[in-house]
Amino acid sequence: MSVAIRKHAWVMGLAVLLMVLLTITKLIQPTFGASGLESIARAALPFAFATAGMAVVVIVGGIDLSVASMMAVCAVTAAVLMERMAGVPALFIVLGVGFLMGLINGLLIVVTRVPDIVVTLAMLFVWEGVALLILETPGGATADWLEQAIRGHFLFNGLPKALLVIAFGIAVVWLPIRRSKLGLSIYATGSDELAAFRSGISVGRTKIAAYAICGLFCAMGGLSLAALTGIGEPVPGPYLMASVAAVVLGGVVLGGGKGGLLGPIIAVFILRIIRTILTLLAVDPNVTTIIEGTIMVLVVMLGTAASLKGARR
Amino acid sequence: MKNLLYGVAALAVSASLSTVAMADGHKQYTIGVSNTVQGNGWREQMICAMRAQALVEADVTNLIVAHRNTDSAGQLEDINNLIEAGVDAIVLNPSNPDALNSALEKAMAQDIVVVAVDAGVSAEGAYILSNNQEEYAYLGAKWLFEQLGGKGDVVYMRGIAGVSADTDRDNGFKRALAEHPDINVVHEVFTGWQQDQGKQQIFDYLATGIPFDGVWTSGIDNVIVDAFTESGAPLVPIVGADNAGFVQYLTEVEGLNGAAVTNPGSVGGAGIALAVDILNGKAPENKTVLVDPVLWENSTDAGRETITAAQNPNLDPEWPVSVTVPGWTDYTMEQIIDCKGPGEG
Repeated sequence: MSVAIRKHAWVMGLAVLLMVLLTITKLIQPTFGASGLESIARAALPFAFATAGMAVVVIVGGIDLSVASMMAVCAVTAAVLMERMAGVPALFIVLGVGFLMGLINGLLIVVTRVPDIVVTLAMLFVWEGVALLILETPGGATADWLEQAIRGHFLFNGLPKALLVIAFGIAVVWLPIRRSKLGLSIYATGSDELAAFRSGISVGRTKIAAYAICGLFCAMGGLSLAALTGIGEPVPGPYLMASVAAVVLGGVVLGGGKGGLLGPIIAVFILRIIRTILTLLAVDPNVTTIIEGTIMVLVVMLGTAASLKGARR
Repeated sequence: MKNLLYGVAALAVSASLSTVAMADGHKQYTIGVSNTVQGNGWREQMICAMRAQALVEADVTNLIVAHRNTDSAGQLEDINNLIEAGVDAIVLNPSNPDALNSALEKAMAQDIVVVAVDAGVSAEGAYILSNNQEEYAYLGAKWLFEQLGGKGDVVYMRGIAGVSADTDRDNGFKRALAEHPDINVVHEVFTGWQQDQGKQQIFDYLATGIPFDGVWTSGIDNVIVDAFTESGAPLVPIVGADNAGFVQYLTEVEGLNGAAVTNPGSVGGAGIALAVDILNGKAPENKTVLVDPVLWENSTDAGRETITAAQNPNLDPEWPVSVTVPGWTDYTMEQIIDCKGPGEG
């Protein structure tokens, strides 16, 4: 029970922090409004999917260092395919490619018993090379509807389409899984592998599934990169470290078993809006990253302290 | 948290008050800068040139610099943030010519002037200001071929295949070659603009023992001189770029006859100057503006004097030596080394 309260307290805390940051943005830049929100939601797209994927493997007790590289593979695959064929089948092929890459990551970890951090570090370079093989220099094209799908607002100003894409993409994969046998197995494996095994959970299969889900989210991330830029870029972007940061800030325990996806996604928005604020304030770019890192450590420290205090009571 | 809120509110109010107070007949432009490679000497010089030029432009009161290592999606984010910040102009070094159109078009729809420096963008209505890479190669190659008396064998060391700067330089090199029919290219390699790779390639070629009369390199230059001196081969005329190391060799290495062609990162400062001109209604006729390079050689007294004058011990060794763009930038060498924009102590 207390775990549930703590988990929700963390997410609530993050939501409050996000609201405060939005208010600060509005105070600094009174013209900040629907268009600003839309910009932030679009910027958050690739980070949100990378973070969702990372969160799932962290919950199962692992880590995937190859998320950014898998996103690059998916982005170039999308850009190359959409230049040559219809967008919808291309989209499903890309999702399949992402799922397959995640599956390979998971299989290698479970079958070879090499530590996940080593396997996915190696695969970081493998997928990076694959991306360059598919497309040597940035290029290709994306379907117009894909670019339009993340641009602008839905129904009314203030509800960015990009935000809906994030919510839909993650919900359609994670909601059915979370409450299912697989979802429970993922949490059980993450909190205690041996206990999970003794309760009859196929630990290996659960891990493989978690990595495959991560791959699927990376495919969505790659698609959003292609949709944002209109091209495919073979060189991985800064999504690995950013996703780990958002996962930690979002209240997922790095050892596994605890946390959800909502916290990390809110954390993604917090990290994006901090960058917006720092840009609005014209802070020296060399100082910007220091501030970003400091805020992250402070929030996690405060959150941990608060939840420890709550637990003692 | 409440205190912080008040603090920020106070800051915002005081910021808006100070802009009003600064009204003295000059315009008050805020310019945004976006760059996606951090820690590279050329790009750092570009950023400092932008700051220094913004400092000396009387009409620029604020410069917002978004300068980090990121991909095109990150640059889109930065440009959108600059738009939110209400800038009057955006000067950017684009990560890709086609990837940024959504943000650039949004900016131009809000009458924000967009100037791309160093490389082009395909967004309609954006201004492009870059070093003239074709002229860069032509100038150096022509000098080299003339040094050889219009006759001889040269080694041609290029950059990266498929990169627009390399293609443009190749066109310039070929133009000079066409004017000197008795010059032969005996060896053509791509250095990948990597120092170690270029050095190994010239070592390998020296080891074959095939004689040649000159080397044209696409900016991988001081290591070529090193390769000659280390292998004990007699020096031939070498053309490189205005990298600090090579320019120093031109004054110091005994028996080296060479030339450095400028490829200044300070073209960023020229970008700021162009943005201010456009804001003040003095837009150039052509959307693409090319900055012509200058050649510094050490075979004449005048040339040696120019090289000596350009050197400054305070200059970052990673920077190109040419810190200004004649006809464009107005700052002093101290100001660019200082690297402070408007409003920075």
